[in-house]
Amino acid sequence: MAGSSWRQFKAILRKDLVMELRTHEMITSMGLYAILTMVVYQIALTEAGEALDVRLVMPGLIWVAFIFMSLLGLNRSFVHEKDQGCIDALLLSPVDRPVIFFAKSAGNLLFLLVVELLSLPVFAFLFLQGREGITNPIWLLGVVMFAASVGISGVGTLLATMTVNTTGKDILLAVVFVPLMYPLLRAAVGATFAAIIGGPGSVETFWAWMTWIAGFDVIMLLIAFGLYEFVIGA
Amino acid sequence: MNRTKIARLVLVLGGMLTTAAFLMTFFWANPSLLPDGRVDFSQKIFYFHVPVAEASFLVFFFTALYGVKFLLTKDRRYDMRAKIATEVTLFFVLLTMATGILWTKVAWGVWWQWEPRLTTYFIMTLLVIAYFVLRNSVEDEEKRAVYAAAFGILAFIDAPISFFITRWAESIHPVVLAGGKSSGLEAPMLITFIIAQIGMLMLGYAFYEMRLHEEELKERLEALKVKVGG
Amino acid sequence: MGETSCTGRALEVQGLTRAFGVRKALDGVEFELPDGAFLSIFGPNGAGKTTLVKILTTLLNPSAGTAKVCGLDVVTDAVELRHRIGLISHNPLLYPDLTAEENLLFFAEMYGIPQATERVRDLLESVELDHRRLDITRTFSRGMLQRLSIARALLHKPDILFLDEPYSGLDPHAMDILDSLIAQIRGDHTFVMISHDLTKGLELCSHALILANGRVVLFDEKDAIDEGAFRETYRSTVGMGVA
Repeated sequence: MAGSSWRQFKAILRKDLVMELRTHEMITSMGLYAILTMVVYQIALTEAGEALDVRLVMPGLIWVAFIFMSLLGLNRSFVHEKDQGCIDALLLSPVDRPVIFFAKSAGNLLFLLVVELLSLPVFAFLFLQGREGITNPIWLLGVVMFAASVGISGVGTLLATMTVNTTGKDILLAVVFVPLMYPLLRAAVGATFAAIIGGPGSVETFWAWMTWIAGFDVIMLLIAFGLYEFVIGA
Repeated sequence: MNRTKIARLVLVLGGMLTTAAFLMTFFWANPSLLPDGRVDFSQKIFYFHVPVAEASFLVFFFTALYGVKFLLTKDRRYDMRAKIATEVTLFFVLLTMATGILWTKVAWGVWWQWEPRLTTYFIMTLLVIAYFVLRNSVEDEEKRAVYAAAFGILAFIDAPISFFITRWAESIHPVVLAGGKSSGLEAPMLITFIIAQIGMLMLGYAFYEMRLHEEELKERLEALKVKVGG
Repeated sequence: MGETSCTGRALEVQGLTRAFGVRKALDGVEFELPDGAFLSIFGPNGAGKTTLVKILTTLLNPSAGTAKVCGLDVVTDAVELRHRIGLISHNPLLYPDLTAEENLLFFAEMYGIPQATERVRDLLESVELDHRRLDITRTFSRGMLQRLSIARALLHKPDILFLDEPYSGLDPHAMDILDSLIAQIRGDHTFVMISHDLTKGLELCSHALILANGRVVLFDEKDAIDEGAFRETYRSTVGMGVA
């Protein structure tokens, strides 16, 4: 049984990748959204000019962009399944429901990470030139991005499974998703800040925030995993 | 005596206890005058604000509990209970916010401060509102119940975070229920506070029961309509 | 009447009820269908036809009563049962951004079909789509999608095929193709079809069932049915319809 679940997991993930590589739907819309966000940031920051050290607000700005960007991808990922009733065909097949959850989450995580990795250098290029560099090792940034994106994709996949069946799905996903993500976002901003700004004790602070993120991931993913069968079967 | 009668009795008792506690704050429990001899009204809010906030956390727990029960049984009555518990939570949460904002203005000089307790409680308010937005967006009755249950369970996670955050993070919000002697309440204040808290919980229970009774009557009416309609 | 690997009864439905709150989508539905039969289910909108098929295909759980498909309980043996049933709907249930072949290979993986590539080739040939196997299905006509969706439903060699208004939205030519495809596989499958089209439904079936308000109004073998009286019964249920 475990073997067939693994094969099914790979099949669903591969199917999502093939469709994305063919249409570029999610990556393009998420990427464009990230760039638009930066234009809006430029407007927001413009009057502050040199008086503001952009590095201080950058962690927050990054995560605001990421969370709203993720909403686009999450919505799309279930519209595909719903379009021609594919989700019914999937549910008719002998697949354990959690396999669908993990495969869809993994796909969403992958797309999110790709766009995050692409947009981060652009962000640095547009806003951080001439500023002091990052003092702590840059891989710390990768750690927090990965860990927080895991939580975003997991809980987001569960919620998108619900909201795709509602009226006004896009808005509703934002309404239920953003407040649920608050603890995770707060910790992600804290960890990113510690990683970028550095200073004495910053690595300890970083790992303290990472504990929060890890705790959130474990608790929320377990709950989402437990709830998925009910939600997708409804 | 049936449940409705008990609920009415509890409602009256709860009302009396909270009112009594409110009066006691003036005449018995440390009237703590301001330096110029006037009564410190802001301090009285404490006997309402804290009990209603504690009650909101407790009632919200029932949203999650009945959500779990619903998912395990698919029994519609648990969905109804979860929904009503969330209604009472919303009512209490709004009261907490309103009284909190008044107190914040007097004590901290501002109406609002983004500090951990206020922020997490604000998030909880949004989650409770989102619960109803979600319910209203789902057409199919059973889907609505399942989604609401799932979201209620996830949303409840914020309640313990908000409750304990003043102990974990640097917060300027007072820790009231610190336990032991550290809460620093003198006996008359503590007794008044406990009376107010019990009164508030009774009110919560009464609201819940009476709403439930109302919904059950509606349900019976629907069933009769279906029966008569063939 | 053909034989499938379901020995005995294809469907055994007892006291099947599906309710949420006071309104019952299904209310004590009972009937038995022999192996190899072709059942047509008629009824007005909201009669419970879709709910019944969703329960029989394990997509919904009953609130009360039991249903056995191929001798397997729809609740307790759901996973095993899913290997034995296929669904052809008016919705193609295919991913428009995958090619015909990719769609079938994907579902072959979900069912764990051995030698999937050959099986997919054979099926594409039998539904006359092998020349389009590398095209994404977004470009397919309604009739081609329906043929591909039949191939998808047959992938894992199910014993029972559920058809949910398979003719709706098809042009006459596509209907003919569907007819001949059904005739081809009729011998070794049991069929359960939801239909709005009385003539078509009666023409194909060996058994007919009329549902209204979640209850069975009529269930009989076709040979025992007088068509005039049947049409009259059906018409009377449409009046009770959408409650």
